[in-house]
Amino acid sequence: MKVDVKRLAKLARIRISEEQEVRYEQQMQDIIEMVEKLPPLESRDSLVDPDHPMTLRKDVPSAPYKRDDILKNAPQVQAGCVVVPKVIE
Amino acid sequence: MELYNQTAASLAKMLQNKECSSVEATQSVLDRIAAVEDTVGAFVTVTGEEALRRAKEIDDRRAAGEELPPLAGVPVAIKDNICTKDVKTTCSSKMLENFVPPYNATVMERLNREGTVMVGKLNMDEFAMGSSCETSYFKKTKNPHNPEYVPGGSSGGSAAAVAAGEAFVSLGSDTGGSIRLPASYCGVIGLKPTYGSVSRYGLVAFASSLDQIGPFGRCVADVAMTYSAICGHDPYDATSANRAYPQFTVGGAGDMKGKVIGIPKEYFGLGVSAEVHDRVMKAAELFEKNGAVLKEVSLPSTPYALSAYYIISSAEASSNLARFDGVKYGYRTPEFENLTDLYEKTRSEGFGDEVKRRILLGTFVLSSGYYDAYYKRAKLLQKQIQQEFSETFSSCDLLLTPTGTDTAFRLGEKESDPLSMYANDICTVTVNIAGLPAISVPCGNAANGLPVGMQLIAPKFEEQRLFTAAGCYEALTEQPLCPVASL
Amino acid sequence: MNYEMVIGLEVHAELSTETKIYCSCKNEFGFEVNTRCCPICTGMPGTLPTLNEKVVEYAVKMGCALHCDINQVCKQDRKNYFYPDLPKAYQISQFDIPLCEHGYVDVLVDGKEKRIGVTRIHIEEDAGKLLHNDSFAGSLVDFNRCGVPLIEIVSEPDMRSPQEAKAYLETIRSILQYLDISDCKMQEGSIRCDVNVSVMKAGSNEFGTRCEMKNVNSFSGAVRAIEYEAKRQIEVLEAGGVIEQETRKWDDAKGESIPLRSKEDAQDYRYFPEPDLQTIVLTDEFVENIRASIPELPNVKVARYLRDYGLQQIDAEQLADDPQKAALFEEVLAEKKCTPKSVCNWILGDIAKLMNEKNCTLADLSIKASSLASLLSMIESGAISNAIGKKVFDLMQESDKSPEEIVKENGFAQISDEGALLEIVKTVLTANEKSVSDYRGGKTNALGFLVGQCMKASKGKGNPAKMKELLLSMIKEA
Repeated sequence: MKVDVKRLAKLARIRISEEQEVRYEQQMQDIIEMVEKLPPLESRDSLVDPDHPMTLRKDVPSAPYKRDDILKNAPQVQAGCVVVPKVIE
Repeated sequence: MELYNQTAASLAKMLQNKECSSVEATQSVLDRIAAVEDTVGAFVTVTGEEALRRAKEIDDRRAAGEELPPLAGVPVAIKDNICTKDVKTTCSSKMLENFVPPYNATVMERLNREGTVMVGKLNMDEFAMGSSCETSYFKKTKNPHNPEYVPGGSSGGSAAAVAAGEAFVSLGSDTGGSIRLPASYCGVIGLKPTYGSVSRYGLVAFASSLDQIGPFGRCVADVAMTYSAICGHDPYDATSANRAYPQFTVGGAGDMKGKVIGIPKEYFGLGVSAEVHDRVMKAAELFEKNGAVLKEVSLPSTPYALSAYYIISSAEASSNLARFDGVKYGYRTPEFENLTDLYEKTRSEGFGDEVKRRILLGTFVLSSGYYDAYYKRAKLLQKQIQQEFSETFSSCDLLLTPTGTDTAFRLGEKESDPLSMYANDICTVTVNIAGLPAISVPCGNAANGLPVGMQLIAPKFEEQRLFTAAGCYEALTEQPLCPVASL
Repeated sequence: MNYEMVIGLEVHAELSTETKIYCSCKNEFGFEVNTRCCPICTGMPGTLPTLNEKVVEYAVKMGCALHCDINQVCKQDRKNYFYPDLPKAYQISQFDIPLCEHGYVDVLVDGKEKRIGVTRIHIEEDAGKLLHNDSFAGSLVDFNRCGVPLIEIVSEPDMRSPQEAKAYLETIRSILQYLDISDCKMQEGSIRCDVNVSVMKAGSNEFGTRCEMKNVNSFSGAVRAIEYEAKRQIEVLEAGGVIEQETRKWDDAKGESIPLRSKEDAQDYRYFPEPDLQTIVLTDEFVENIRASIPELPNVKVARYLRDYGLQQIDAEQLADDPQKAALFEEVLAEKKCTPKSVCNWILGDIAKLMNEKNCTLADLSIKASSLASLLSMIESGAISNAIGKKVFDLMQESDKSPEEIVKENGFAQISDEGALLEIVKTVLTANEKSVSDYRGGKTNALGFLVGQCMKASKGKGNPAKMKELLLSMIKEA
């Protein structure tokens, strides 16, 4: 099977060079071959684990965080918001 | 003997008896760091000033007559993927080079409550992806027993710091062997706890369903003490187990009498070197001589575990690392034309090769049309492996295997060959897949002078069995198990 | 050629819980940017989600209300995509096992009931908000809305007209409000919908290719978007073209939709089970307690009011829309003293007017059902006039006296005694001879004036019908 590394890179928002593309493709091919040796398993089972039910959180608010603490690591901040290039959808 | 040479347990006693102060112990460790760090390179950040301030505070509290927990005043170091409030947490990545968390990981809250003194943050493979500590963006940590060799990874800094006397105990994280492999390579003890026993809140996620924080130490008591301080239910981690934990004790020479140790045959093939095989079997014989029963067992799905591991861990990583996009925190590419350009350049420049490779693999196994064949199949295989382990544990108390297939390798030796690098993890990944606790304990040196590690595996939440067996082995060996490396 | 529309709707409703779905930040609208968020909802490295139990409770409530099967064992999944308003770059949602599925809701369209299938209801987190400003070259991100709990209600493609779609949307909204689980404020974006439309030849069973429309921000907008889209698709088909499956963006101001993305570049969301959360397991008791707590829903009530009480749909809806009004209506009827019609008219008329004047809820007025029933029964029996009834009602607001006491104390009882009325009529006739001759001369409206004079003379208490009768007979006699 051929891996479309370009498409994957686009999905993952990673830009790769031609040289990297060839290298990654080979390396992923190897890994995929390894993975394809997995035994076939009934895949109708769903991925739930009722033996380990989750404890839910009570709906009780906690004290708010300071905005400065939330934004202090942001590369660009303006008017109390993080800034991104203009997006219109 | 210099203070840094003590174990945490003996230092704790000295502190309690006021034979020394925390400031003295901390200063001793900081001096040691200053002396050997150029060679070892275990730290990304050393927080010396803050550590001395903190040590003084503990000393003052003790002087005031306050009853303090056992680890109070003991210098510790923390892997750099565990969030520390107001102290940089980089994951050894360019992406988070300047990231300062506004909050503490739960384990940090617990260590702080315990009164430990953090001396710094430790180097690792970038985002914990690697087995050699060579994928760090900042530096390559060296094996303190021979600086031409890798310390193992991904928690290479955590193992090297403890082995070199740069910290009494440290915390690392283990997704597929990242605590046990470097512990084995550096000749220290490393515990990968049961999944769900230590909160992951504040651990920068690699593979959420496999990651677990655990301690390193130079004796079993140090590891048990540190584990005891960090384990327990955390309402901030929905996968954390809500249960009570016992008071842990360290086993003595006679404590393995009548215990059944399973030797899973699949773990002694798989490219395990003759020397490692030999060392681990010698340890098994020592247990046997002291009353334990050895039993050959089989875990037939083992050969598939590595594949399942790479599928699950990469899939989760591809999603967990998507948030690093140059918008909210971390690296942002200096020039960009639009949003997509910002995303792509930031991520391409901010992540190293290994991280990108795993993100792409993870993206692949989750992508439309492949999910069932890869991710879902791996998750179902995971159930099967868990089942096999629980059946095996019905007839034995513990399992004994090698930790790594060999001793540490030379820096650069496997960098260009990911598959052979991945093969190092073969003995350790099944434990993560099954969510079990396991400990790596040094069991002698190979001919090259480097330590060999054995792995003890217990059923879920049976860490006590590991401390019993490891403690027994420690008591039976004449030489100190984990001497501080002479540098 | 005749075409039939096939419409399916996806409704997103924000739940009115105290805290967000995966962290303990307050779930509040309208605060300063980035002041209702924490490391968890802003996706800081290392943080983990914890699921709010109220979100599960509310979603199950809606599921029970819409006759869904509740999946007592279910999970959450990650939906992966990059966008600046999604700080983790994935949305925690539910993929293959939603909390609720296979339900339905009955809606009324032009007085007729129609059953619409509900495919599923799942829980998920809302995204943040992008703010744009013409004077600024970039976009700003406000994370306050990140992690606000949502339920997504997906319908079957069972609707065949914009009117049915509107009725469905209004019914869903009234149920959400009835259950008190969502504010449903369209202007605050707390309820939003995506519209799926296709067309097929009338009488056909084969659905056409559908298009999804995003950015529909009001129910009337949904109607316009459906009409536009159906027309567009019919025009394409009539011109011999084919419909491409695509996502379109509705622009309500322009009244048109534009293509957003085609099926080919549909995003690959790479759903997989959220590893940070464990399986949701609900006990029978949990679900049954919720099921038992659900009141009769407005759509069911309306149908019953039409069927059992013969009310008009519009009146029945107005009553049912306000649980307090509906409750009062039924409590008054339970006294078995008066007709449904008069209770309905009073509640929607005088009582609603009073609520408006005082700007208060029905509960604030503290009207006793038994008192109102007595009052209406006095009016219906003719013991007091409607006009006096209003006076009595006003006085009831000022004291806790019964309407009977008020009528008695104030001497409001309607005079129906013929002897007493005859005296009044005689006096009026004597004083208004001109009007009497006018009436005889053919000016029939003079009678109304005379009745009015009688009412005035009786201080409003004379039975108008009887007085009119007496007037007529006396005029004829003379």
